Amino acid sequence: MQSLVIAWRHRELLWNLASRDLKGRYKDSVLGLLWTVLAPLFMAAIYIFFLRLLGGRGLQISLADIVIGVFAWQFTVQCVTSGLTAFTGNANLVKKVFFPRLLLPTSVVISALVNFLLMLVVQLPIVALLLWHSGGAMSIWTLALPVVILYHTIFNLLLALLVSAANVYFRDTQHLVGLGLSAWFFLSPVMYPLSFVHDLAQRWPWVEQVYQLNPLTVIITAYRALQTGVPLVLTPAALVGWLWPLAVAALVLWAFDRAQRNFSDYL
Amino acid sequence: MSAIEAHNLGKCYRKAGVGAPTLRDALKRAFLRRPMEDFWAVRGLNFVIEPGRTIGVIGPNGSGKSSLLGLVAGTITPTEGTVRANGRISSLLELGAGFHPNLSGRENVFLNAAILGIAREDVRKRFDAIVEFAGMRDFIDMPVKHYSSGMYVRLAFAVAVEMNPDVLLVDEVLSVGDAVFQTKCLNRIMDFKRRGKTILLVSHALETVEQFCDEVMLINQGQLVQRGPPGEVIFSYLRTYLARVGQLTVEEYGTREVEIRQVRLLDGAGQEAAKFTTGEPLHVEVTYHAHRRIENPVFGFGLKTGNGTYLFGSNTQILNYRIAAIEGTGVMRLTINPLTLMAGRFLLSLSIHSWDHSVQYHRQEDLYPFLVKDDPAHHGVVQLATQWELKPGP
Repeated sequence: MQSLVIAWRHRELLWNLASRDLKGRYKDSVLGLLWTVLAPLFMAAIYIFFLRLLGGRGLQISLADIVIGVFAWQFTVQCVTSGLTAFTGNANLVKKVFFPRLLLPTSVVISALVNFLLMLVVQLPIVALLLWHSGGAMSIWTLALPVVILYHTIFNLLLALLVSAANVYFRDTQHLVGLGLSAWFFLSPVMYPLSFVHDLAQRWPWVEQVYQLNPLTVIITAYRALQTGVPLVLTPAALVGWLWPLAVAALVLWAFDRAQRNFSDYL
Repeated sequence: MSAIEAHNLGKCYRKAGVGAPTLRDALKRAFLRRPMEDFWAVRGLNFVIEPGRTIGVIGPNGSGKSSLLGLVAGTITPTEGTVRANGRISSLLELGAGFHPNLSGRENVFLNAAILGIAREDVRKRFDAIVEFAGMRDFIDMPVKHYSSGMYVRLAFAVAVEMNPDVLLVDEVLSVGDAVFQTKCLNRIMDFKRRGKTILLVSHALETVEQFCDEVMLINQGQLVQRGPPGEVIFSYLRTYLARVGQLTVEEYGTREVEIRQVRLLDGAGQEAAKFTTGEPLHVEVTYHAHRRIENPVFGFGLKTGNGTYLFGSNTQILNYRIAAIEGTGVMRLTINPLTLMAGRFLLSLSIHSWDHSVQYHRQEDLYPFLVKDDPAHHGVVQLATQWELKPGP
């Protein structure tokens, strides 16, 4: 709660830091902000191509699902990767000027959020087109996306807080996180629908339960459900998947506050 | 209410933990249980600073001055004790710390101001004044990565002084930029002082400290050694530390057949001092002890500026002051009157040697530092007796 007050009081600085991040990222590149959308689009295209190539024609995957999954995944990846260097990349600033340290990872997430919203401007028409092509239509529930985006942002912020602080203490974090992200990518339904794990779940029912504890699973599933109109099934496991990040939020903030006190010693 | 208060303030660094930390180090430490070496940058500091005072912090390199400022600023968390500052603190610790190299000077002004807690509206209103102060009008829309280091710092300083803090922390920033800009900086800080702000100033420029501060704290090895009027503290700093810590090229050699036992620098009133005034006398009282009878000794002295330029040297031989012989303890008095040196830090060397220069009995090189204060109307290293005469044409 106190963190929210701090963030609000420094909203001007937050916005400045976020826009520094955004402007800095695409300065001097020809395509500039276009890369924001081009990167996930290319990724989606590559996944679709190889899934088709390897899985054959019989594979039942919806193109819209992959596009939605990749764009949402991209949001989290951006928060985590730029969260890693939120402090280590701004050592001078952290050591020399006092301001609530919380603001740096938060600004990183805000800039990623702005990026994501821009990505959505492109993603939504593409998904609409793909759905129309396969005889469907965008669901009216698409209007409820902001709720999922808000939750997704909070989740990303918690991740950014954790990795940013951990990386100050152990520079190994950036390597571990790189590995973790690759594993997480396959453990989350980014380039395949949730139904893919059903086969596994028939042999080991607990697999699906555990699978649903992954917040990114429920987030991506929700993005898909809201846009394509597939009903969202809220199993008990999925409910836990939704709730546990919020439950540990206070703990993360507390740990972050403890950790940030010695930042200037380690930077 | 006090402006800054420190109680038993201490900051400990683990020697092993300094530098780029890795998981391997942490695991190694956890398993081997190797005791970590502690290093106290600052320890057991107690002080109260009243609002509106300008306090200088001096001490040798690595004495903990910057740590102290970091602790007050809140960028460093104390290991023990507390430090509290009342009101808004602003620090001129690291100029341009928040600059983003790819953004233009204009964008960075706003960004830096936000980091320092200056409202965007205020910056917008004062933008032209900031740019003017930094002297950057032609370059303000250029990415700062193309700036020279001087331009970088000038712009950062111009933004930083827009703050309206209650407590201002200044760490050696006055040493940046060219002479013109330095004067501008000093004027700005003077301005803060006039407006009744509390200022904590860390500097090696002792003349600046002397000129600006109401009080000076001397820090050595993380401890508050002395606190008091600037002249007094700077004097004991120069005497005690500069010579000992070896910041000067202090050298002492000779056969010691005659020894320099004690040296006192006296002002016109005969008081021992570390600071002298241009145009007034400076007396050097050398107490010597000759272990045996020495015939025809020569007493000499030399003066250098603080950065080592040799200024003047003379001795009793040159002045035809014959000393038949010395034996036992005595006092030699050297008078420089008037002192024609201008403001700055100077080093005095003394020597006693034989008439033919073949034996150096005792030579103390640069052992005695002192400060000179002058009337600010003149500039330079030495004061020359000058007069003007106008002969108008027919």
